[in-house]
Amino acid sequence: MAYVATRGGARAIDQAERLYRAELGQIDATRVDAVRRALPMLIDRVMGEASLYEPDLAALALAQAGGDLYEAVLLLRAWRTTQPRLAIAEPVRQEQLFTHRRISAAFKDIPGGQILGPTLDYAHRLLATDVLQGRPYCPAPVTPAAIAAPAHQPSLAAWQKAQGLVADPARTEVAPDAIPDLTREPLLFPAKRAHTLQSLARADTGGMLTLGYAAMRGYGNAHPTVNELRLAEAEVRVTHPRGTVFSAGRVKVSQAEVTSKGKSGQLSLGFCATLGWNEVKVISGATLDLNAAAAPKGSPVEEEFFLYHTEPVEASGFCIHFKLPHYVTFQSSLDALRGAKTAAAPQSEQVPT
Amino acid sequence: MSIANLTKAWQPMSYGFLDASAKRELRRKMLKAIAVPGCQMPYASREVPMARGWGTGGLQVTLTLLKPSSVVKVIDQGADDSVNAASIRSFLSKVSGAAETWDTLAASLIQSRHRIPEERLHAGQILVLQVPNPEPLRPVEPNMSIARQMHADADYGRLWLILYERIVRSGRIMEGAAYPSLVNGRHVMTPSPIPRWDVPKLHMAQHLTFLSAGREKRLYAVPPFTKVEPLVFSDVPFKVEDHGALTCHRSGVSGFYMNEIPQDNGGSAFEVSDSHLGIKAIRQAEGEADRIGATWYQNGQLA
Amino acid sequence: MTALSQSPVPASVPVPDAFEARTNATFEALMWALSRPGTVQTLPASGMAGLAEALVDRECKVFCDDPDLSHFVAFTGAALVPAAAADHAFLGLDRAEGLKNLEQIPVGSALYPDDGATVVAFARFGEGQKLRLTGPGIETSSEITLGGLVPGLWALRAARSRYPAGFDMFFICGTSVIGLPRSTLIEVL
Repeated sequence: MAYVATRGGARAIDQAERLYRAELGQIDATRVDAVRRALPMLIDRVMGEASLYEPDLAALALAQAGGDLYEAVLLLRAWRTTQPRLAIAEPVRQEQLFTHRRISAAFKDIPGGQILGPTLDYAHRLLATDVLQGRPYCPAPVTPAAIAAPAHQPSLAAWQKAQGLVADPARTEVAPDAIPDLTREPLLFPAKRAHTLQSLARADTGGMLTLGYAAMRGYGNAHPTVNELRLAEAEVRVTHPRGTVFSAGRVKVSQAEVTSKGKSGQLSLGFCATLGWNEVKVISGATLDLNAAAAPKGSPVEEEFFLYHTEPVEASGFCIHFKLPHYVTFQSSLDALRGAKTAAAPQSEQVPT
Repeated sequence: MSIANLTKAWQPMSYGFLDASAKRELRRKMLKAIAVPGCQMPYASREVPMARGWGTGGLQVTLTLLKPSSVVKVIDQGADDSVNAASIRSFLSKVSGAAETWDTLAASLIQSRHRIPEERLHAGQILVLQVPNPEPLRPVEPNMSIARQMHADADYGRLWLILYERIVRSGRIMEGAAYPSLVNGRHVMTPSPIPRWDVPKLHMAQHLTFLSAGREKRLYAVPPFTKVEPLVFSDVPFKVEDHGALTCHRSGVSGFYMNEIPQDNGGSAFEVSDSHLGIKAIRQAEGEADRIGATWYQNGQLA
Repeated sequence: MTALSQSPVPASVPVPDAFEARTNATFEALMWALSRPGTVQTLPASGMAGLAEALVDRECKVFCDDPDLSHFVAFTGAALVPAAAADHAFLGLDRAEGLKNLEQIPVGSALYPDDGATVVAFARFGEGQKLRLTGPGIETSSEITLGGLVPGLWALRAARSRYPAGFDMFFICGTSVIGLPRSTLIEVL
């Protein structure tokens, strides 16, 4: 039959997928475990963008995707979305976080103290090429401080509110169940505050950095100062149907608060938090949040602009969709183009046949 | 009360992939979309195991409708065997047990990217069009919030203006696919990006059409017997692609939307875009009993 | 072998459970009822509970004037709210009180027509008031008769319709359902 030659679609996609997976080879629990142990920062980044806190699943997704971040995030999101929601955790307050690292660039010292915690900020970025020569890199042991830093730290913004430096908007208590959920409702503008923060939390790290950096360079209207940056662990407290509140475990979280002088003679604050430890993301996100209030429509620091364009699954999917055939729409444009040429120059050659 | 009786036993995957809550949300929005034809209804748009931009909006509508007795046809650019169509169709049947078909007449549900089949769809059939960009106003207003307000005010002046300017510059309508069309006399929609050839097939049709954009989280519908009118000026008529006189070099059918295949000799050959129509014509020519249904176009003209 | 058989998708043919099969069939009836206003579609079970389980859950705000149904609705996780806040309303439109509730039902706005509520009520088909319907889903015009409804209903619907704002109605008679979306023009004959 004349059409048999073109009927290879199903076989073609099957073999193409095999070709890709052949390169990755067998995936087993050992490999997943190795990924999880070796790449905690990557695991954190993926969990944040997937908005799913499960290091083993994140490691599995990375292994299955061969380290392609967008594929890994999509795998996790697609799995996450079908899972039942058994309970909604209680909101976490700053002073309840088990804080590992907490710094402020706004003051030399702050109530509770500057706690450097784990960071490469002041390390020299030298590649340990010795490792490739067979000499393993062994990190030097940590010497504990004479006095351990307290696990719980106050919020700097609380001090600033008490000083009248930042506005202290009236807080309305919202039951956990009533908090708008971005994964169950569409994002509409002007966005609900909860949707903005959820959207920032699961945004693409690279995309957020790009737009945040644009704002920092001057495409925003506010220059950020890091008011407080925190890496911590948060207790996930949920209510059992019997009414008992219990901890279902801890998750790593990062959050940043950036500030600049606002119009009303007070400081403005921008905020961003995410699952996992990811400082670049939360500083960029907080900077965008800081700039959003006064942003003109269509500017990169306008909420609609940055929230839409930093959604990793949507952005990466749309980008790669241009690989799909578009010949029907292209043919339609070609027809209009040729028709216009014919109309403009009736004496010229006819449409090629 | 315990957690066990608040939830169900854990399953690796729900029937039709989407969980019950995702399906209920889609059902609610699909009903609203039918009630206000052509109006974009926002929905949460869950992630599915395919990349955004690859038919995830159409997929969510289809998954909500699927049942074991469904008969599904999936086409991309008119072809059932296009790689992405094959991938989507195999996913749909795997998660639902629905039958697959290439035959437009046999399908109860047709998910399509960029084409409406040439054989007339009948009452009871559902067409699900995948939509990359649901907003007809985007060329004049990229900001979604402002565009929404423009729809609310039926403020289509700027859209008319660019259509007018293009006509003045080139002497004819210059829109390719996704020709903006007024639905039920109220909302302008972008008809997926189907070619202009297919737009009249939506007007006062027998079948029900859903248009769904997963990435942009909007869905809209054209119910049966609903007016779908391309935005045109009375003195410059709407014009479908000039394909009426072309003949498919493989199947011999004439007067349908064609794919142009550039040839080594500098010219072009044409093949019918609705690939299964071509297959049916070839089978008929080879003496097989394969029925071609009534078509929207006859001899290259809208019937 | 196809590509997906390598992926973690169940190998056996999936079968819907009773809940999935029922809610799928209910929705299909509602979808065609609204797509072809005035035609009678068949629900898998009689009564309003089937509509509730197919459509509403914890994301929804429901008004319901029937205590038994309210209990069922609460079990879906939906919040029970006054008529003025409802996105779905299960109403008794056979009495004046129902009309008072319908006066309050949200109609949405031109900006967000989807905020217009879905209203479900019992009626008797083939008797009572004769109506002529025109609009999307109807080729020319069609006529139906709906009984068991309080006088003034159609005038109230007309008064509250500001297309694309408005509410959408389903009438139930046993296992039969008729849909009247806001896009339908109703002429009381």
